Amino acid sequence: MDSKQKKTLFSRGMTRRTFLKGSAGSIAAALAAATPGRFLTQGIYAPALIQNNKTVVLAIQEFAHDAIKAVLPDFEASTGLTVQLEGGPASGTDMLTKYGPSFASGESAVDVISDADDDSPTFIRAGYIEPLTDIIPQETWDDFPESFGSQIEKFHSFDGQRYRIPHEFAIGYFFTRKDWLDSKGLKSPATWEELVNVGKELADPANGVWGTTDALIKPALLYVYVAYLTAQSGGDVFAFDEATAEALQFLYDMIYTHKIFPEDALNQDYTAQNQLYMSDKVAVMRQWPFFQSVAEGDTAWFAPEKLAIELPPAGAAGSKAWWGGWGFSVPKFAPNMDGAKELIKYLTSVEIAPKLAEGQSWFIMPRKSILDAFAGKENAVLTAMGAYAAAGVPAARPFHARVAEAQTVVDDAASQFLTNQLSLADTIKYGQEQIAALGT
Amino acid sequence: MSTLSRTPARKSFKGLTFRQRTYVVAVILLIPALALRVFTAFYPFVQTAYLSLHRFNPAFDGATGPVFVGLGNFQRIANDPVVRASIGFTLTFVVVATFLQITLGLAVAHLLDAPFRFRGLSRTLVLVPWAIPMVIVALGFRWMFDDQFGMIPDLLRHVGLEMKWLINPTNAKIAVISVAVWKSTPFVALVLLAGLQGISQDLYEAARVDGANWFTSLRYITIPMVMPIIITTSMFMVVWQLAVFDLPFLMTGGGPGFSTTVIAQKIYLESNSLNYGYAASIGMVLVAIVAIVGAIGLYLFRRFDVSE
Repeated sequence: MDSKQKKTLFSRGMTRRTFLKGSAGSIAAALAAATPGRFLTQGIYAPALIQNNKTVVLAIQEFAHDAIKAVLPDFEASTGLTVQLEGGPASGTDMLTKYGPSFASGESAVDVISDADDDSPTFIRAGYIEPLTDIIPQETWDDFPESFGSQIEKFHSFDGQRYRIPHEFAIGYFFTRKDWLDSKGLKSPATWEELVNVGKELADPANGVWGTTDALIKPALLYVYVAYLTAQSGGDVFAFDEATAEALQFLYDMIYTHKIFPEDALNQDYTAQNQLYMSDKVAVMRQWPFFQSVAEGDTAWFAPEKLAIELPPAGAAGSKAWWGGWGFSVPKFAPNMDGAKELIKYLTSVEIAPKLAEGQSWFIMPRKSILDAFAGKENAVLTAMGAYAAAGVPAARPFHARVAEAQTVVDDAASQFLTNQLSLADTIKYGQEQIAALGT
Repeated sequence: MSTLSRTPARKSFKGLTFRQRTYVVAVILLIPALALRVFTAFYPFVQTAYLSLHRFNPAFDGATGPVFVGLGNFQRIANDPVVRASIGFTLTFVVVATFLQITLGLAVAHLLDAPFRFRGLSRTLVLVPWAIPMVIVALGFRWMFDDQFGMIPDLLRHVGLEMKWLINPTNAKIAVISVAVWKSTPFVALVLLAGLQGISQDLYEAARVDGANWFTSLRYITIPMVMPIIITTSMFMVVWQLAVFDLPFLMTGGGPGFSTTVIAQKIYLESNSLNYGYAASIGMVLVAIVAIVGAIGLYLFRRFDVSE
C-alpha cells in the first residue's frame, strides 16, 4: 500500500460525534449484557466467590487461633468439614471498614465472624447477619448468667431474633500498685474522693509519676473511659445528662486541678498506658483484662503485689464498670451457611466453651460451664470476675442503635472539653444535639 | 489515480463499508480504555451524585432503600460542626503545606543545582523522606511528637521551649502540616531541579554583566523561567493533598477534638457507619472544591502560557 492509498483511507477520519456515538453504544451494549438483577442489586462489581462447601472460614483475631485450632479436630472429624482460620479485625470500627463494603455488595469471603459490640448492631439492622435463634440450643443460652440477658437483648438481638452469641466478657478492672499503697499505709481508693486523695499522695508530676491514668486517644478509647466514669456517676453517656457532665468534670479536675492524671493521656493508647504503668509511673488505673497477661509476660517487672485488682472507686451510683465483648455471627452471604452454623454451634457449646477458655484467657466468661471448669484453679482474672459480680460492679454497656456514631460523638465532645476548646455547658449541648441528629 | 481509489465504494466483509469497518475497529480498540474510565470514574461519580441526594443507611433504610431528600444532606453539612471544621483544616493544610513545599522545594533545588562534591549522593539522600511510606512516617512522628516519650518535645525542652504538641489543637495542626512538608518537599525539589537545569546559564551571565545580583537573578530569571513548573507542581500538590487522609488520621486520629480532622476522614467515618448518602454528599463537596481549584489552575496555566 503506497502513501497515497494510506492517505485515502485515513483521510476519511471519523468525526468526534460518530466516535462518541459508537463508543457510547458499545458500552451500553456491554452494560446490558451484564446480568440485570445482579447489576441492579449489587452494583457492577460483584465478583462471584468460588464456593467450597467443604471449607468453613472463621475470621477471628489471630491471638485466639491456637485455642480454636486445639478444639477443631473433633469437629472436622465428625462433620467432614475443614475449618480455615483468618485474622479478624481488632476493633468494631475496623470490622465496619473491612466487612461493611463487602456485605453491602451482598458478598462475604468468610462464613463466621467474631464481631464486636461497636459494629454488630449496625450489621444486624442492615440485614447482613443470619439469625441464630433456631441454631443455638437452649442449653447453651442457659449456660450464660441471667445478668447477661439485657445485654444480649440490646447488642445481640433485633426484632425478637438473636443474631450473635457472646464468646468474650470484657470489663474494665481497677489495677492497683498494692506495694505502693502498703508502703504509704493507704488503702485502695473506694470512692472518687479517695481516688483524688490517694492520687495526690502518690503522684509526683515533676518526675512523671501519676496517681492514675488511662488511654484517652481518639478514636474510641476516650469514649471507653468517659463511659466508665459515667457508669459510676449513674448517667447515660449517650444522653449527655447531668451525670455525664459530672463524669467529664471529674476527669477534667483530675487532669488540671488535682494534677494526678497526665494531660498527655489524651494522646495515649493502651500500649503507652501499659508501658507507663509497667515503668512504675502510675499508682492505680482502669484497664481491660488483657493487661493481666501483658504484665505477667514482663517477668522481669511482674510481681503480684504490683498488680492487685480491686473494686473501682465509687461515684454517686456506686462502684461500677461497664462490660461488653465479642461474639460469633454468621454473615447472611456466607458461602457455606450450613457449615458456618454447625461451627458456631460447636464452638459455643457447653463442652467446648470451657476448652477455649483454658486455651486463651480472652474466652473466659462467667458462663456456668466455664466457671465449673475453672473451679479450684488459681486465675487472677477469674477471681476478680467473681468479686466484681458479687459486688454488683458490672453495668450494662451504653446502648445506641447507631453505637459507633454515638461513640464518635462522645469522643469528639469530651476531647473538645478536655483540651479547653469548649466549656462544659457547650460540650453537653454539643453532645445532645449531635446525638439527637443521629435519630433512632 | 490508483486502482483502489478508482474503485467505487462497495460492500465489504460482513456487509459493512470500508468506512464503517474503520469506525468499528476504532471503537473496539478504544473500548478497554473507555470502559476503564466509565467503570472507575464515571459510574462511581454518577452513583455518588445520586446518593448525595438521598438518605441511605442500609442499617436503617434497608426496607425503603435510598430516600430522596433533595439538598437535605447539604443542608446538614452546613450545620455539621465536624464537617465545617474539617473543610477549614483541609484548606489550611493544603494551602500552607503547598506554599511551604514549593518555597522550600525551590530553595533545596537551588542548593542541589549548585556544583559541589557528592552532589549526586546529596540528591539521592534528599529524596529519602519522600521514599518512606506515609503510614510509617505518620506513626513515627506520632511517637516523636509524643509529649511523654517523644524526642521532639524533649529536644525543645532542652532549649527552654515547653510545648504540648498533639494534645493542643493549634500545635497539633502545626505538627501535622510540618510532617507533610518534611515528607513531600524533596519530591517538589526534584521536579523544580529539573526545571532549573533547563535554564540557560547564558541568561545569568548576561544578567551579571548588567549588574544583577543573586536576588534580582532569582526574581527576574529563575522564578519566571520555572513558573510553569511551579504552577504545575502546585496544582498537583494541592489536588493530591486535598484528599489527604493517612497522615492526620494516623498521627492524631483527627484530634484533639476534631481540630485535625480532614474531609476525607469525615467521609471515611460516615461511610464506615454505613451513612452512604451523607458520606456521598460530603464527597461531592470535596469534588466541588477540587473543581474550583482545578479551574483556578487552568486559569493560571493560560495566564503563564504553560502549554507553550
